[in-house]
Amino acid sequence: MLARSQPEPSRRPLLAVGVAGVAAAAALGWLLQRAWRPSANRNYRAAEALGAGTAVLCLSVALDSGIEHYRGQFKDRAMFVGPTMAALGLAAATWIAFRPEDSRKALPRIAFATVGVTGLIGLGFHTYNILKRPGELDALNLFYGAPLGAPAALTLVGLYGVIAGEMLSGRDYVRKRLPRHTAGLIAFSLMGTIAEAGLLHFRGNFQNPVMYAPVTIPPLAALSIGAAMLTPRATIVAEPLLKATAVLGIAGPMFHAYGIHRNMGGWRNWSQMILQGPPLPAPPAFLGIAVAGLGLLPTLAEERA
Amino acid sequence: MTDFRTPYLTYEVLDKWDTPSWNDQTRAAIGQRLREVPQRRFLSEEQWSLLQAIVDRLMPQPDREEPVPIVPWIDALLHHNHTPGYRYADMPPMREAWVHGLKAIGAEARNRHGALFEQLSADDQDELLRDVEHNRVESRYWGDLPAGGFFRHHLLKEVVGIYYSHPHAWSEIGYGGPASPRGYARLGPDERDPWEAEELDFEGADA
Repeated sequence: MLARSQPEPSRRPLLAVGVAGVAAAAALGWLLQRAWRPSANRNYRAAEALGAGTAVLCLSVALDSGIEHYRGQFKDRAMFVGPTMAALGLAAATWIAFRPEDSRKALPRIAFATVGVTGLIGLGFHTYNILKRPGELDALNLFYGAPLGAPAALTLVGLYGVIAGEMLSGRDYVRKRLPRHTAGLIAFSLMGTIAEAGLLHFRGNFQNPVMYAPVTIPPLAALSIGAAMLTPRATIVAEPLLKATAVLGIAGPMFHAYGIHRNMGGWRNWSQMILQGPPLPAPPAFLGIAVAGLGLLPTLAEERA
Repeated sequence: MTDFRTPYLTYEVLDKWDTPSWNDQTRAAIGQRLREVPQRRFLSEEQWSLLQAIVDRLMPQPDREEPVPIVPWIDALLHHNHTPGYRYADMPPMREAWVHGLKAIGAEARNRHGALFEQLSADDQDELLRDVEHNRVESRYWGDLPAGGFFRHHLLKEVVGIYYSHPHAWSEIGYGGPASPRGYARLGPDERDPWEAEELDFEGADA
């Protein structure tokens, strides 16, 4: 007879794990910020941050789409394109994060344009995937069909990369309009990511109260950086909110790792739960967008002067 | 009887024993099913051997050296009076239905062939069981027990249910056993997780 182990007693250690996760994320964020030696030139700094944020966003998309398309067994050859493009974006973004002055060169610009356009095509494929299912555009297919947010993120990657280059173009509109328009784009990016996290956390019934975090803090950050389009004073509010959003982007995978532990079989059952549990690589998308936004803030404040 | 060939040529569900697919609870439940086959407690020896002969026609297992035990589990079911939780409106309670039904099938065999059901040829046994299924029976043996109802709702249902509760039957049909703790991540049509059975003999599958 095999030893029968009793089921684990429920101690609901959520609070302790939550606090530890956020504290670890904040510490990691603080260390990253300390390590970052930004340039004195605000446009250069914005290009640098756009590169770094885009790299994080690409890493998130590459891992997430890699895992999800592996789950889909690469049934369609086109399913290799998404992760490949994200990897290409990751390479280009990492390059300009370290060498922002290179963002004016042809090679990274071609790479970003390719990634951006491919994202649009991918959006078309994913929309088709949703609409071909019985019920077409209904909640169930939005929940379980191909996610719209993921290919859209690749389009954002392309735009961020091109904007990073434009920041250093020295053209007149860079001083006048580009930072404000980019702030709007970042607000829009945040709203898209919030929509996806909100949809999936709603699907997960917000069963852990922490699941409300990505639908409360980032919307405020999106509002404040959106408001910065209109008044530079909003950047004062936007900064702490974007930092909080960045912390969420680091804390997210920790919570998702805990979520996998809570699932049937826990981490021992990783071969199912990496695919079916909460997605580990998804939350850093918030970190990437927040980093891009944080780097942009000084240029927004500059405009007033 | 049609020839059955499993398309899952290399699949053995018990290979999951030590994998992440199963945990201690699952191993305990399946281990009990494999090792602790119950002894005769409820049925008489005559009823047991009659039921065994019937089961051999309903679920023939000529290809197995050690057939999946079915009669012992029906006996255990009756011994513990594990009813499904309800009673068919036109039938007596489960235990009475089984005792009455077996007795009536034995009587049908004696009436038609003057022999025990176990002694009949396979064809005669099949014909008799087919008549029971379609209510072509002597009402004096069956009384108020509907023969077809007993055949379908008690006899056939338990035999098939018990057979397909056994890991050997799972391997045959490519079933993974309890999804406990590991379930399935690829749920759509024509999708397969790496820990699922794979058909290799498609001619066998189509036969």
